[in-house]
Amino acid sequence: MRWAVILLTTLLAGCASLGERSSAAEETARSFLQAVADGDGAAACGALAPETEAEIDAPCEQSILSEALTAPSPVADSRVYGQSALVTFADDAVFLAVFRDGWRVVAAGCTSRGERPYDCRIQGG
Amino acid sequence: MRRALRENSLGLVFGLLFLIVLVAQGFAGHADFNQQQIAAGLEPVGLGRYLTSASFAADVAENWQSEYLQFFLYILLTVWLVQKGSPESKKPGEEGRESDREQKVGPYATGDSPAWAHAGGLRRALLSNSLGLVMGLLFAGSWLAQSIAGAAAFNERQLRDLQEPVTWAEYLIEPDFWSRTLQNWQSELLAVASMVILSIYLRQRGSPESKPVGAPHDATGVEG
Repeated sequence: MRWAVILLTTLLAGCASLGERSSAAEETARSFLQAVADGDGAAACGALAPETEAEIDAPCEQSILSEALTAPSPVADSRVYGQSALVTFADDAVFLAVFRDGWRVVAAGCTSRGERPYDCRIQGG
Repeated sequence: MRRALRENSLGLVFGLLFLIVLVAQGFAGHADFNQQQIAAGLEPVGLGRYLTSASFAADVAENWQSEYLQFFLYILLTVWLVQKGSPESKKPGEEGRESDREQKVGPYATGDSPAWAHAGGLRRALLSNSLGLVMGLLFAGSWLAQSIAGAAAFNERQLRDLQEPVTWAEYLIEPDFWSRTLQNWQSELLAVASMVILSIYLRQRGSPESKPVGAPHDATGVEG
């Protein structure tokens, strides 16, 4: 009985943790797209993963604003697996990964191509 | 204490070796996982995070399920199938579940038989099949765990490669699931077939898994 309680508590904690991680990934994706829509290039670049930022022409703060990313619509779906996440909006998808300071955007402006990798406006090397 | 250790040395040594190798697998798997993370331009993870990851769970479970499947099949198939000359087999003609007298159950149970060997009905049926049943359940549980953890680990790699994740049901028909499963099954089946056939002609002096060194090649079911 005691083991059943411990197991149930652990499972519920796992679910809560997954829910929290999913919300945090959604928030990072939304903030990133909102920063681009608001013309706040510094905030948008600050949300990028290092390799993704390195692929954008310097200065990132200006170049990121010309990437034709759409403003965030309501989240349609979010999937979190281990260190990676995919947040899907009505007309955009954002890939994220966990870094020391939390979620960061790995690729954005992505559209599905079925079994092939997503086609993304910005992504790392 | 020393006597207890000696009398249980086989189980203890294998248990200890299992733990040592599992820890070693944890370290090696952690290094491999982080190599992939760094190659993808992502952050390496700590050992604790890796040991609780789907990737580690899938790697562990996929090997466990095949080992339990091996023993489950071996225990059940050796009831009805024989291999002439193998110490792992019953003698030809002895196939089947055998009589109550041979199995020492019901009225033929002896004073030191397990309690449920004296009983009838469900309890006797459970004891009579408990080894195969538990191995089968451990196989099914490990395989289920492999499928769940494997789906999450597969999806993590999919997202790392900017590809679409799949549901658990979709993962069950993914090549990744069957490749991981079948590569383990074939190796286990090869190991059993090798043991059954090689033990006809080869010997290991002192091992109960072998015939006595001087036993003839066609002696079946004789353990040294």
